[in-house]
Amino acid sequence: MSPQHAPPELEEFFSNLELFGDALWAGAAAGALLGVLGVYVLLRNLVFVSAALSQAAGLGVALTFWARAALPGLLGGLDPALGAIVMTLMATLFFVRAHDHHDAHQDAQLGVAYLIGSAGTLAVATRIVADLADIETLLFGSAVAVLPEDRDALLWTAGTLLVLHGVAWRGFVAISVDGDGARVRGLPVALLEVLLFCSLALGVSVATRVLGALPVFAFSVLPAMAAVKLARNVSEAIWISSLVGIAAATLGYLAAYRFELPVGAAQTLTCLLLLALASVAELLRERHGHGHHH
Amino acid sequence: MSTEPRTLLALERAVVGYGGHGLLPPVDLALAVGDCWALIGRNGAGKSTLMRSMLGLQPLLFGTLRRAPQLRVSFVPQRAHFDLSVPSRVRDFVAGGLDVGWRFLRPWLDASERSRVEAVLEATDTATLAAEPFAALSEGQKQRALIARAVVSAPQLLVLDEPTSAMDPLNERAVFALLQRLCRPPGRDNAMAVLLASHQMGFLPEYADHCLLVDKDLGVLQAGSTREVYASAAFGRIYGALHLPAPGLGG
Repeated sequence: MSPQHAPPELEEFFSNLELFGDALWAGAAAGALLGVLGVYVLLRNLVFVSAALSQAAGLGVALTFWARAALPGLLGGLDPALGAIVMTLMATLFFVRAHDHHDAHQDAQLGVAYLIGSAGTLAVATRIVADLADIETLLFGSAVAVLPEDRDALLWTAGTLLVLHGVAWRGFVAISVDGDGARVRGLPVALLEVLLFCSLALGVSVATRVLGALPVFAFSVLPAMAAVKLARNVSEAIWISSLVGIAAATLGYLAAYRFELPVGAAQTLTCLLLLALASVAELLRERHGHGHHH
Repeated sequence: MSTEPRTLLALERAVVGYGGHGLLPPVDLALAVGDCWALIGRNGAGKSTLMRSMLGLQPLLFGTLRRAPQLRVSFVPQRAHFDLSVPSRVRDFVAGGLDVGWRFLRPWLDASERSRVEAVLEATDTATLAAEPFAALSEGQKQRALIARAVVSAPQLLVLDEPTSAMDPLNERAVFALLQRLCRPPGRDNAMAVLLASHQMGFLPEYADHCLLVDKDLGVLQAGSTREVYASAAFGRIYGALHLPAPGLGG
């Protein structure tokens, strides 16, 4: 019989923060940014757009690895983040077009895009055996460590987009809640739409490259769902969602360490746990007669 | 000084429709300060298409849409347009109407904007509901909040799409009375023009002085005073079976 394996203690974790600090910062930045973006994803019923975008980003990274392996002389230095951004922007343009034209079967189109992304990534993965671990990281977010340059890319992206959203949040809310009303009142709706979708594409693609598709999808949907249950208005929902995103990323990472779970799965499960707590809080508030009456 | 009513919005030989296909005959009309226009017609008659074209949400197929310079317009869509899962207290919902042009770039409301919101909440009898979630309101209360959101930016033209649909008769009358009070404040000449789509044929003439009757199937687009339109042959063809009483003077 093999000797019983003792689970790692959190004391060890905190005494080795220099090993895990980059991953914690990267997770917190992604949680904060995707928490904010998630509120718009929810307001505009774009939940599956977010899922499809994260898969498109994954395919972009996989294609970059493949291109680097196939043409090492020409494309050997190609950054996988670039592939993620290009594929995500292409997918975003496709969804915006379908959304603007009120295309029938929009959900079916999203399903097709999601399947192209996930099946394409797996198919390409079989051609790049050397980078197979990277592909697994990409899909399920199983990376324990994050490179300093990836952490910096995520921090810069999150910082820049959060400043944009801090300045223009009222405009983004206006076009998300009542697009026609906003257009009639003279808001620059087309510009705000482009900025909102580009920030979603950029945030999802950079975060997917660093953390993987599974936690990115979770951060862009579940914190916002929890926040909407607790908030009295959209501005509160944005704050709460961002904080829930940070908490889920950090606590999920700690849980992954303590219970030896894949990081992405632990972060997603933590998001779900926080959502369950928010649902209980909403229920208790409704019982006391101060809740929303949806 | 000109005594002509000031035109806010005008259509000239305008044809509305989709994909190059005109829905209604060409129309000429002008909305002036203080006018109250009712847009009537059966479901699917082309009311929404005409309304969206007048708002600039949909391009005209032919003709011209003229707007007064710096015209401030507010639009009240049907209540079902708003997603009730969006968290919003009535006060926040009303304040959302202040975002006009590029004002959204100021992340917070200043003192004058906050007092404007409170004044509009009072004027629309929604002050006691200010802290309530919008989703928890009755249909009549929701409509009052929607109107408050629309008028908080002090528009010169207010456009409403079926503001009293799915409402009981008492609330219908209350909404129309509120509109009349807001649009024509007594002792003031800064009245706002109103265009509203409605099916309340019975008492529309009490509130609307002008009428636009549309029916794409019958090729009807008739504009004029409410009395003229109600007396027209086209109105008789479409609504004759309702045996409506002859309208009094509009407004």
